[in-house]
Amino acid sequence: MNGAEFDLDQELAQRDDATAAGRLKGMLRNNKVAAFSVLVIALIIAASFAAPLYSPYDPNKPSLSERFAPPSRTHWLGCDDLGRDQLVRLIYGARISIVIGLLPTSLSMLLGAALGMISGYVGGKTDFWIMRLADVVLAFPSLLLAMVVSYTLGGGIVSIFIALSAVSWAGTARVIRAQTMSLKEKEFVLAARSIGVRGGVIIFRHILPNCVPSLIVLFTLNIPGAIMNESSLSFLGVGASPPSTSWGLMIYRYKTYLLSYPWLAIAPGMAILIFVLAFNFLGDGVRDALDPYMKD
Amino acid sequence: MARYILRRFLISIPVLVGVALILFLLLNVVPGDPVTLMMGEHIKPALIEAFRARMHLDDPVLVRFGRYMLGALRGDFGVSYKLQREVSGLIWQAFPHTVKLTIYSAFVSWIIGIPAGIFSAVKHNTLIDRSLMGFSLMGVSLPIFWAGLLMQYVFASRLGWLPVTGYYSIKYYIMPSVVLGWSSAGTVARLTRSNLLEIMKNDFIRTARAKGLSEPSVVACHALKNAMLPVITVMALQVAGLLGGAVMTESVFGIPGIGRIAVDAITHRDMPLLQGTILFTTAIVIAGNLAADIMYAFLDPRIRVEQANS
Amino acid sequence: MLRRIAVFFVAVMLALPICAFVEEFAEAAIAPGYENVLRFATNDEPNTNDPQKTTEYYAVNFQVFDRLVEAVTTGQGQSDLVPGLAESWEISPDGLTYTFHLRKGVKFHNGAEFKAKDVKYTFERMLLPETEAKNQDFIDPIKGAAEMMDGSAKELSGLEIVDDYTIKVTLKEPFGPFLASLATPGVAILNKESTEEAGTDFGLVPEKTIGTGAYIFDKWVLHDEFKVRRNDNYWRGAPELDGISWKVVMDADTMRMMFEAGEIDVFDTDLVPSQISYFTKSEKYADKLVVGNRMGTYYFTFNHDIKPFGDVRVRKAFQMAVDRKGMLDALFDGRGELVHGILPPGLYGYNKALPEIPYDPAKAKALLAEAGYPDGFEMTLTQIADNPSTLARGELFQAMMAEIGVKVTIDQMDEAAWYAVRADGKLPAYSGVWSADFNDPDNFLYTFFAPGNTVRRSFNFKNDALSNRVAAARAIVDPASRVKEYQDLERAIIQDEAAWIPLFTTQHIFVVGDRVEGFKVSWNGWSDGWHYYEGLRIKK
Repeated sequence: MNGAEFDLDQELAQRDDATAAGRLKGMLRNNKVAAFSVLVIALIIAASFAAPLYSPYDPNKPSLSERFAPPSRTHWLGCDDLGRDQLVRLIYGARISIVIGLLPTSLSMLLGAALGMISGYVGGKTDFWIMRLADVVLAFPSLLLAMVVSYTLGGGIVSIFIALSAVSWAGTARVIRAQTMSLKEKEFVLAARSIGVRGGVIIFRHILPNCVPSLIVLFTLNIPGAIMNESSLSFLGVGASPPSTSWGLMIYRYKTYLLSYPWLAIAPGMAILIFVLAFNFLGDGVRDALDPYMKD
Repeated sequence: MARYILRRFLISIPVLVGVALILFLLLNVVPGDPVTLMMGEHIKPALIEAFRARMHLDDPVLVRFGRYMLGALRGDFGVSYKLQREVSGLIWQAFPHTVKLTIYSAFVSWIIGIPAGIFSAVKHNTLIDRSLMGFSLMGVSLPIFWAGLLMQYVFASRLGWLPVTGYYSIKYYIMPSVVLGWSSAGTVARLTRSNLLEIMKNDFIRTARAKGLSEPSVVACHALKNAMLPVITVMALQVAGLLGGAVMTESVFGIPGIGRIAVDAITHRDMPLLQGTILFTTAIVIAGNLAADIMYAFLDPRIRVEQANS
Repeated sequence: MLRRIAVFFVAVMLALPICAFVEEFAEAAIAPGYENVLRFATNDEPNTNDPQKTTEYYAVNFQVFDRLVEAVTTGQGQSDLVPGLAESWEISPDGLTYTFHLRKGVKFHNGAEFKAKDVKYTFERMLLPETEAKNQDFIDPIKGAAEMMDGSAKELSGLEIVDDYTIKVTLKEPFGPFLASLATPGVAILNKESTEEAGTDFGLVPEKTIGTGAYIFDKWVLHDEFKVRRNDNYWRGAPELDGISWKVVMDADTMRMMFEAGEIDVFDTDLVPSQISYFTKSEKYADKLVVGNRMGTYYFTFNHDIKPFGDVRVRKAFQMAVDRKGMLDALFDGRGELVHGILPPGLYGYNKALPEIPYDPAKAKALLAEAGYPDGFEMTLTQIADNPSTLARGELFQAMMAEIGVKVTIDQMDEAAWYAVRADGKLPAYSGVWSADFNDPDNFLYTFFAPGNTVRRSFNFKNDALSNRVAAARAIVDPASRVKEYQDLERAIIQDEAAWIPLFTTQHIFVVGDRVEGFKVSWNGWSDGWHYYEGLRIKK
């Protein structure tokens, strides 16, 4: 094995990576909207996971004497139909949106990246079949497919995980495949192949690091879709199950009070709007910053 | 060119079969028994068996799939368990409403998305850029069902300007198509903006500027023409997103379209109906993609040349 | 204030693209042709309007068909059986033979005259396996019904046509509520020729769905609307309305908005109990409320096959751990009455003297400890997805059970799965409501606690002696001893055996629009309405 050659690619890859990180840092400095979005997202995540430390109320314990209490100093966003503090429920509800936003998206990224790289690198029949499967998945309107999957598996968080992961891997696989195919022709990969480095090693050492920026972009762009789909599924009654709550479930539960106690239904919708908007802004910023890598 | 179109067309057939197969398998491993639901509870077991036999529900899954596909080729998608009518007829009845909603919504998304994209590209990195993009992205980030409910509450229930639900004339479509169109305006705006930005970096724009043309005419005459190319194709691709969004929109606004039928079919586990609607929707999406590809090939000379050479 | 800010915010956010269009679109609230039509809304599409093939959708049925005997509303929660297509009848002293004298000169919507052969056809169609009818329970006490249902007979031996206007029905054994069950909507009388000719289109295609009723099935646009129009030749005299329409609106909150916008005439708060307090507290609607009693009982069940619900102490503890009053207040604005047994107040045989089941969490906890669960246990409560009000009920139950240390998980299942699991007797626990099909205790006790039914409804009630008595009570002829037997059974099943947690019965509140005059609630509180809306007018 020729050591010198090998180190050079490593270094190249690392330099690319460093540039990507550098670009992201630059983005946070220059793009105030994106920076602010990061702040909002971080705040929401921190607030919801630290909730048990500071929350004065149990989010699930009804208090029938305080039903529909309007917003006040003790209950900033009022109480719901069972007398539970709305703000505390919103903060706890954020957890599900966060987990749903991050976990299935990560899973589908892993799956999509792996299949994309295999497909692009191996080519031939493998490529053909993987891509046809991706075509099939992409052809479904994602919400419908997610609905079918979660109905098949029954409601609940786990089936939402599976549904959302199953829906969104295909887009990632396509992008990564295209990138892999162009990387495959690059000199450092050709060189590694010529000296007999095994395929798996090439994929991990040379191709994967070069796909990282694209993966970051895809990741931030996929999160909003996942959160929206979760809220739609919960709204249709196949999402999160009580007593734990999610924002979608809250809208579903409180929409009936839109006329009499509008804040109950408006607050969770605003929460979704703010959270998802922040991710969308961040995604745009990240894409702008890393654009040169997104030549698909 | 003809060969290219034919090839693209042939590729979509196995995709469609794949969709049908996956759907069929998904719907057939479910724990619930559609027959019990359909027949109600006081039903005698003998009747359930007769029904299962009539619907061939006890055959192996693949045999049933084969039978289903053969029927589908003849346009026969079976009979809805719940509504007891031909699925193809039900879809045919619902489809025009969905088409209308989709067209109106696409229109709204262009009205919002294209100007937003152009202005934010021209005023790149300014407050205008950010707020216009912000407005279009807000649509993407708005849960459709929530925005729909709020609109009904404000414009129909409070102000009484628009009807709450229905589909009888264009005014019934205003709220649904604004909600749905806004939700995909972000995509249109993003694409318009990034294309325009890229094109503006090109030499011929610099030349035009050097010739002393005013900035608006540079944008309007030179840049826009080229930037709209990919945007046109996105219109076809939008179909998938809009059809997906139509599921929620139609449910909220009481439009008896495909999405509404699909939700109904899911809640009643009406397998033939669900299968038919999703298969149909998917076929439309695939057709949309095909149309996008072909349109793109026609519009972009580079691809035409590539095709000719290959 | 907050509400106003919210309205303003949303308005500004969404108004811009719309304002320009608005003025052009002002038009009359009542669509042309609907000036004298009563406009309802329903949240579910009927699967069919064939009376024999549905157990849920009777709205069209009540208007388009008649029955031999009719149950008419005589007051709140009270009904009388009056002659319908049968002008009179005699019952033999042994309670086995019913002779019906049919009304002469009644015409079906297609002009054919109603005769005895139509009754025979109706009953036989219901029992033939190939019809796949669902309401067979109501006529299966007739002699020979079993043979028809298992396919060994093609004709109903217990039904004899004496002449064109007389039929004689013989029962296998006496069945007290037989007349009452003939008055259920499922036993509507069909026309032999036109129904045979319609085949599978019957109940689906309006012009092929022929009855003798006050209205003619007029149109049915799926997922949108169905409508009936006046039958000018109705044998009781043509009704006053031009017709009745039902809009299909999936979401009940949307329906509420339509009502407020004047797009429908009647709003049924049963579809969204959470709206009750809005309407009852609003001055605008104070004189628009029409209140009736729902002849129904809300309940929680538990599956006696699943540990620890086999233990009567655990079941009793649960009965005492539910704050039923609090639940009624929270969910239905207190509009109802607690029930301590099975039968709701007002039903024939209702027992006022039943002792109250107290709300006593401390005693409940002690009972659990005695049964060996001092620290409680975990259990699952199931419900059908897509029903926020059931969910709210479940969440309250969850919180009340937490008080006695029982951890409840709510499992939202889709409708099909839920029914399938329940029919297998495997559902762990659920809550529901049962309202009377006909005014008799049998309709309640038999449905839940007869030997096979207790499995089908996932109780798995183990006291065979009581279950068998429920089945045997059907054959008691003497009214007084029947009522006594049912009341004894009720007490034993609920108060001694604690087979379910009875909750309450609720008022059924309708909000009626300005145009409507003379709306009343049917005796059993059903949403499907009452017989041909007699006495109801639309103001011009």
